[in-house]
Amino acid sequence: MKRSSRALAALLVSGLALTACSSTGSGGSSDDSGAPAASALDQASGVTTIEFWHSMTGKNAEALTALVNQFNTAHQGKIEVKPLFQGTYDDLIAKYKASVQQKATPAVVQVYDIGSRFMVDSKQIVPAQAFADKDGYSLEDLQANIRNYYSFGGKLQSMPFNSSMPLLYLNEDAFKEAGLDPAKPPTTLAELGDMAKKLTKKDADGKTVRYGFGAAIYGWFVEQLLAENGALYCDSDNGRSGKAGKAAFDSAKGAEIVQWWADLVKGGYAANTGRQTTDAQAAFKAGTVAMHLESTGVLRGYTEAAKFTVGTAAFPKTAADDQGGPIIGGASLWISGPGHSDAQKRASWEFEKFLSAPEQQAAWHTGTGYFPVNTKALDLPADKEWVAKYPQFQTAISQLKATKPTTATAGCALGVMPQARKGVETAIEQTIAGTKSAQQALSDAAKELQPAIESYNSSVG
Amino acid sequence: MPTASSPPEPRRRLGEHGLAWAFLLPSVVVFALFILYPLGRTFYLSAHANDLFGAPSRYVGMKHYTDLLSSADFRHTLVTTALFVLFTVVPGVLGALLLVLLMESRIRGVRLLRSAFALPFAFSVASASVVFSVFYNPASGVLNGLLSNLGLGPVGWLTDSKWALLSVAVSTIWMNLGYNVLVLSAGIGSIPGEITEAARLDGASGLRLARSITVPMLGPSLFFLVVISTVNALQSFGQIHILTRGGPDGSTRTLVYSVYEKAFAYGSSDFGTASAQAVVLMVVVLACTAVQFGVLERKVHYA
Repeated sequence: MKRSSRALAALLVSGLALTACSSTGSGGSSDDSGAPAASALDQASGVTTIEFWHSMTGKNAEALTALVNQFNTAHQGKIEVKPLFQGTYDDLIAKYKASVQQKATPAVVQVYDIGSRFMVDSKQIVPAQAFADKDGYSLEDLQANIRNYYSFGGKLQSMPFNSSMPLLYLNEDAFKEAGLDPAKPPTTLAELGDMAKKLTKKDADGKTVRYGFGAAIYGWFVEQLLAENGALYCDSDNGRSGKAGKAAFDSAKGAEIVQWWADLVKGGYAANTGRQTTDAQAAFKAGTVAMHLESTGVLRGYTEAAKFTVGTAAFPKTAADDQGGPIIGGASLWISGPGHSDAQKRASWEFEKFLSAPEQQAAWHTGTGYFPVNTKALDLPADKEWVAKYPQFQTAISQLKATKPTTATAGCALGVMPQARKGVETAIEQTIAGTKSAQQALSDAAKELQPAIESYNSSVG
Repeated sequence: MPTASSPPEPRRRLGEHGLAWAFLLPSVVVFALFILYPLGRTFYLSAHANDLFGAPSRYVGMKHYTDLLSSADFRHTLVTTALFVLFTVVPGVLGALLLVLLMESRIRGVRLLRSAFALPFAFSVASASVVFSVFYNPASGVLNGLLSNLGLGPVGWLTDSKWALLSVAVSTIWMNLGYNVLVLSAGIGSIPGEITEAARLDGASGLRLARSITVPMLGPSLFFLVVISTVNALQSFGQIHILTRGGPDGSTRTLVYSVYEKAFAYGSSDFGTASAQAVVLMVVVLACTAVQFGVLERKVHYA
C-alpha cells in the first residue's frame, strides 16, 4: 500500500516537472530546470572550452583520452573538452569541494557512485534529465539498473559513464584439482564457505599454500550482499524517497554476512590481505586464493595475467531465497550549473551524450571492462566480438539483466556514504581480530556514523 | 671626535634599522604568509562548524575540542601516536648509536659500512614505503616467505592490528637510520682526540671507553637526535598512508593521519575537527620539546 502511494506521488511529481518543462517552451536561455536549449551553443562565438575532471588511470585513462580526442575532432572549432586527471575519486571530491568554495568548478566532473547524494545536495549541478526533457532526448537506452542508481525523485541526475558490478571470480584449475566442477560455482554464502574449505590446500608441513577464498576488506562487497538479499543499507528507502537519517547495515543480515567472512578468515579458509584491493587482486592472480570477489573492471587484467583459467560466476546471494541483486558501481558525469555559461552547459551535455552513445560505450567497454551503460552497445559487432573472446563477461551481462531495479538494488544514497563504507570495513576488521562480535561491531559503526549523518543533513538543510 | 662610548647618531640608527628590516622583509613575509596565517586560520577553523564543502559556516566555540576529549576514538589515536613515537625514537637512536660505536673499532671496510648505513637517508619516504609494502605483503611478501622456511607464520604484518603499528615503526626506523648514523658519526668525529687518548692511557677500552667517554661526549648529538626524531615521528604521514592508511581497525591512525582523514579522506571535509586535532598536535609537539629541553638537556654535557 505504502509503496504504491509513494510511486503515485513520484509519478505526479515527475508529471508536474514534465509539464513545467514543456510550458517554458524552447527559449534560448536556461529556465528553472537549469538546462539551456541547443541554441545556446549555436549562438556562441568561437570555441566553447569545458574543463572535465576525472579519476581514470592506466588503461582506462588511455581509453578515455581516445574518446575525448574523438569528440574534440568531431567538434573542432566549436567545442574543446580539456580532460584533467585529479587523483583518486576521494581526492577528486576533496578538490571539487575546494573548487565550489572558490567558485571555480569544472564544467563536467566524474564522481564515484557513492558521491551521488552529495552531488545532488551540493546544488551545483544541472540534472541530465533537464537536458533530456528539453531536447526530448530519450534516456531509454540507458541500462535500467544503472539509470535507477543515478535517479533521484524519478529524475536522472547525472550521466552514467563507467559502470561496474561485482562478480565472483574462480580459479578453474583449482576447482578441477579439488574435484569440483567450475561450471557449478557456489551461489550462496553457505555454499561458498563449503567450497572454500574444499579448495583450501595445505602442504606437508601444514602450511596453507592456497586459500579457498580471498577478497579485499572492501565495504562495497557488504553493500552488494545486502542488496542481493533485498535488504536496505540506510533508511528512507535507501535514501531514495527522502533524505536518509540512519544507517541500516547493522541488521541481523549485515551481522550474518560479516560473521561469515570473519569465520572463513579465522578458520584459515580465507586469506586476509587487508583493505588494499591491489593486494587481494595480486593474491588471486598468483593463485593463492581460489575464489575471489572483485569488480567486472579487473576481468581483462586477470585473463591476461593469470596462469590458470579464470572463471566468473554471479555474485553470491546470502541465501537461496534472496530476491535482490547487485548494485551498479562505478562513476557518472555531472554537469555544473552555477558559474558556467549556457554554451558551456550545452557543450557539457553534448559531451555526455557522446560518451554514453552505443559506439563510444562499446569502445569503452571493450577497452576497459567497464559495463556498457547503453544497452545498444552490446548489439554492436565490435562488442559482440569482444564478449565472444572473453565469455566470462557474459556473466555480468546476464547478472544485470536478471536484476530488477528496486530501492535495494539502487543502492543507498547517503551523503556520508564513503564514511559509512569505511565504518563497515572497520567492523569487518574488528570481527576478524575477534575484538567484537559482528553484530556489536556493526552497531558501533552505525552509532559512530550517526553524528556524521546528522551534521551532513543539517548542513544541507 | 666622538668617544667610543657615545651612542650613534639617531639618523644613522634609523637607517640601519630600516636596512635591517629591508633585509628581513622577504623572510618575514614568507613566515607570515606560510606559518602565521595558516596557524591563525587553523585556530579560526577549529572554532567553526563546516558547510557541505568544508567552508566555515558558524561559530561553535570550544565544541570541537570538548568533543575530542570525550571521544574514545581520539584517545585511541593519542595512545597510538605515543606508542609510535616510543617504537621509533628509542630503537632508532639506540640502534644508530650501537652501529656508530661498532664502527669505531678499527675493522676493515668500515668506510663502506658507514656509507651503507647512511644510505637509507637517500631514500624518499614514498619509495621506501613501497619497498616495505612489498616485504610485508601477506600473500607474496619476502618476510612471510622467510618465515615459512622456518616453519612459522604467516604473519599479517600490515593486516593484523597487533602487528601493523610495529611494522610501520620498523620501516620508519630504517628510514631514519641513515640520518641518525650520519649525525652520530659526525659527533664522534668531533670528540677531541686527546680525551680518548688520555682515557686509553688510563687503561680504558671497549665498553668502558664507550660508556664513560664516547657516549657522554656524544650528548649534544644524541639530544639533538631525540628531539628531531620525536618531532619527525609525531609528524609521520607518508609511510602510514602508503602502508596501512591508518588501519586495520585504526591501529596505525596517528594524530597526523587522523587530521588528514577528517579533512580529506572518505569524502569527509570536517575541517573544524581536523583543525582542532591539528592544534592538539601542535600542543603535543611543543610539550614534548619543552620537556626534552627541560629534563634531558640538563644532563647533556657540552664540550
